[in-house]
Amino acid sequence: MTLLDVRDLSVRYEPKASRPLDAVQEVSFAIEPGEFVGLIGESGSGKTTLGTALLRLLQRPGRISGGSITFDGTDITALHEDDLRSLRWRDVSTVFQSSMNSLNPVVRVEAQFRDAIEHHSSLRGEAVTRRVRELFDMVIIDPKFMTAFPHELSGGMRQRVNLALALALDPKFILLDEPTTGLDVVVQHSILENVRRLQSEQGFAVLFISHDIGTVLDLSDRILVMYAGRIVEDQSAGALLREPLHPYTKGLLGSYGDPRAETVKITYVPGRPPDLSLDIVGCSFAPRCPERIDLCLEKTPPLEPLNGGRAACHVAALQRRDGGAERFGEPKRGFVGPQFVKTGDESRSALTNEVVLSVEHVSKVFERRRGFTVTRTEAVSDVSFELRRGEVTALVGQSGSGKSTLAKMITGVESPSQGRIVFHGPQGDKLVSGFKGRALRDYRSDVQMVFQDPYSSINPAKRLGYVLSRPLANYQGLRGEQLRERVLELLERVALTPADRFVNRYGYELSGGQRQRVIIAKALAVQPDIIVADEPISSLDVSIRAEVLELLSDLVKESDVGILYITHDLLSARMLSDEVIVLNGGKVVEHGPTLDVIRDPQDDYTRTLLEAIPNPF
Amino acid sequence: MTYVARKFGFFIATLWAVVTLNFLIPRLQPGDPAEIMVKRLAGKDAALDPAQVKAMRAMLGAPDGSLWNQYVTYLGELVHGNFGLSYTYYPYSVTEVIGQAFWWTVVLVVFTQVVSFVVGVVLGAYAAWRRNSRLDSVVTLGSTFLGTLQPFWIGLLLLYVFGYTVGWFPTSGGYEEATPGFNWPFIQEAVSHSFLPALALLIVTPIGWILGMRNTMIMNLGEDYIRLAKAKGLPDRHVALKYAARNALLPSVTGFALALGGVLGGAILVETVFDYPGLGRLMGEAVENKDYPLLQTLMLLTTAGVLVANLAADLLYGVLDPRARRAEG
Ligand SMILES: Nc1ncnc2c1ncn2[C@@H]1O[C@H](COP(=O)(O)OP(=O)(O)OP(=O)(O)O)[C@@H](O)[C@H]1O
Ligand code: SF4
Ligand SMILES: [Mg+2]
Repeated sequence: MTLLDVRDLSVRYEPKASRPLDAVQEVSFAIEPGEFVGLIGESGSGKTTLGTALLRLLQRPGRISGGSITFDGTDITALHEDDLRSLRWRDVSTVFQSSMNSLNPVVRVEAQFRDAIEHHSSLRGEAVTRRVRELFDMVIIDPKFMTAFPHELSGGMRQRVNLALALALDPKFILLDEPTTGLDVVVQHSILENVRRLQSEQGFAVLFISHDIGTVLDLSDRILVMYAGRIVEDQSAGALLREPLHPYTKGLLGSYGDPRAETVKITYVPGRPPDLSLDIVGCSFAPRCPERIDLCLEKTPPLEPLNGGRAACHVAALQRRDGGAERFGEPKRGFVGPQFVKTGDESRSALTNEVVLSVEHVSKVFERRRGFTVTRTEAVSDVSFELRRGEVTALVGQSGSGKSTLAKMITGVESPSQGRIVFHGPQGDKLVSGFKGRALRDYRSDVQMVFQDPYSSINPAKRLGYVLSRPLANYQGLRGEQLRERVLELLERVALTPADRFVNRYGYELSGGQRQRVIIAKALAVQPDIIVADEPISSLDVSIRAEVLELLSDLVKESDVGILYITHDLLSARMLSDEVIVLNGGKVVEHGPTLDVIRDPQDDYTRTLLEAIPNPF
Repeated sequence: MTYVARKFGFFIATLWAVVTLNFLIPRLQPGDPAEIMVKRLAGKDAALDPAQVKAMRAMLGAPDGSLWNQYVTYLGELVHGNFGLSYTYYPYSVTEVIGQAFWWTVVLVVFTQVVSFVVGVVLGAYAAWRRNSRLDSVVTLGSTFLGTLQPFWIGLLLLYVFGYTVGWFPTSGGYEEATPGFNWPFIQEAVSHSFLPALALLIVTPIGWILGMRNTMIMNLGEDYIRLAKAKGLPDRHVALKYAARNALLPSVTGFALALGGVLGGAILVETVFDYPGLGRLMGEAVENKDYPLLQTLMLLTTAGVLVANLAADLLYGVLDPRARRAEG
């Protein structure tokens, strides 16, 4: 019997302050006992909303506005909370998206297992403790942490504890909502392997939500693709990989490549998802779709059986009809949109340009004083390398490896404990070491930064024209017509065209990729010699990452700016950089031309990073 | 345990600083500190009243010997509870005068504060849990309305209605004929005299706790651990108490300890209205009669009270919130 059967489910948010929005629209799917189903889609596509609705945990202003959910033969769409309670955790459990905070901060971990176990089973006292210990073993955590408080656990451990908690009562179904987002890649990898192993041993069904198609493909039997509140494709993992039906799926797949290949091509889906509070006529993907035909703008494509799976795309359906291929062309496997290509030759171009910054035997020791004891941590130890004009150096390493400390020293915020950093600027050499006030401000016109999160680094309530004119006026003293021209030029430069339309747009109107472009434009405004880009794409949806990479790559080619690109993602390092430095525990463990490092990694850590790149191809 | 030790150390250090400043400030200027002090408090042009200066000198100690000797004497006096003589109640010592008023206030204020806190926190938590229910609306609106009133104003109203008009309760003082001590007639009288002042405080003080608790609790209800507790299928009561209220209580507990410390200020007006023989009334009298030794001592006492309350809050917080213990410890 089907375990979970969802029919035409719709969820509507009716916030007081803004227009109502249908976050989930007529979604239908089923999950069989023991099945591992992945659900992917970009941020805001309604994945969490759908999951929360399945758990019947929607809170105001959200509510189920249509359809039904049947779990194990019982219709739970409108089941009273008292009846739901016996189902909860014993049959259905979950690990939340932001489960960093999903443990009660003031209660010991064991007690948080105990209340659930005692409420739903006949286990008491010592038997509960034994069960918790068993669960800790399953997720590979030392049982001594049972008596810890949540804040005493690292992020990865907390996540494992949440997973153990979800398994506590041998549920039939577990909803995993991005259970590893925000964790280090290597940790992510090991937790997800753990999940998969436990699932095959214990046979519970899983709905695994993620925006990362690589991991989903690795883990799932079947995959649901969600776009703008609707399921647009439903296929087994193998079929989806072999023959993706919906163009959006193709776009997602196209955003990955094998960094070891001679030539790597990655595609991206330009634009941004539609505003769900507005009425959409036709296919919601149409504005971004390269395969669009006229029909797409008139009629919403229904989710129909196709190729053993299901898809909601006119063209995909028409092409597969009898004689359809002649009229609508052969089905395409790839995304026929813009792509970013990096050839082996480009990667092999020699490192010959002029050195703009040299890092010489730099170490950084942090001393933390606590009462009379002083703890010393060496965050960076004896690191040397050079940044060159017109070239990109990638700094790769897991969290805690010292990447950010190094970046802070290069950007003049911290000073090295040992060694020195020299900036070879147009006005001669300058020793970089923990500038303050005016000196730091001056140095900002030499070295600029681009950060991880484009959503918090520009004021969403200001027009782009204003955002960009600030640094121009401050650093270059531009005014009036000159200022305006330069703003337009910058917008053109980062491909926000037509520029005269973008100047008057607000930050909040932009997609993540576009915002990151604005931030890059802002960094370029002062005409720096160096840009330090700290994980500039990791908070972006995979489908648009290549867009930003390509922009950075073009910038380097066109100008003589040097980029330090900080990342933990070797694929993007391959696409962008000429040289890779791998940092582990504050030390350089690998250093060389990008292709050499990626093809022939010497260090264990580099190998783990390579394995962590989903490679479904 | 270093957490506790550090908090204690901090407490001792601040207390010492307060006491020392109290000693130093009058001596920083040249001349007789007692005279200067009286002048400062009475206003520059007021004539020096020798009786006042005498009382002050009794408190500050005569300015002879080296500064160090004076300091040692001063500390010794403090430790032995010698704060000089009250000017108003001459020849009683300040210690005696305060000693009599102390328990009246402590019993009245501590009792009303504890009851207010418990009632406030429970009502606030319940209102938040049943947000937008009828009870929530009544509690929130009622609190907002009552919150605009002043305790002394309510005191006057109560006094007028129950004291003068209906005549159910005495209108002033703390007792009538009974001899103060642990005996039944006295307790009866004390309770009936304390009833109206207590009521006046009880109507107003819970409001802060109600609104504060309701706010934090509503904020906490959005937290992931509450959602997870619900997903676990735990009974509502359990989620409300062990997860939501337990966490929402933390800021209130700190607030409570602090409120106890600063309680004297709030009690003054109410005690004055009911002519209740506590510290508040005493403070009022001290101000009116320019009884500086008494005033000084009351101030010192209040500051010490705030410090003790702070310490208690810190220690309690350490017990209730495991994160605090480590964050700095
Ligand atoms: N409480 C809420 N009130 C109003 N709108 C909401 C609320 N929660 C979510 N939404 C909206 O519903 C839509 C779907 O959000 P949801 O969180 O389900 O997306 P998601 O696919 O899980 O995204 P992510 O990958 O970022 O987690 C978004 O447009 C979001 O803005
Ligand atoms: S229906 Fe049309 S617009 Fe929508 S995905 Fe298919 S081809 Fe593209
Ligand atoms: Mg989500």
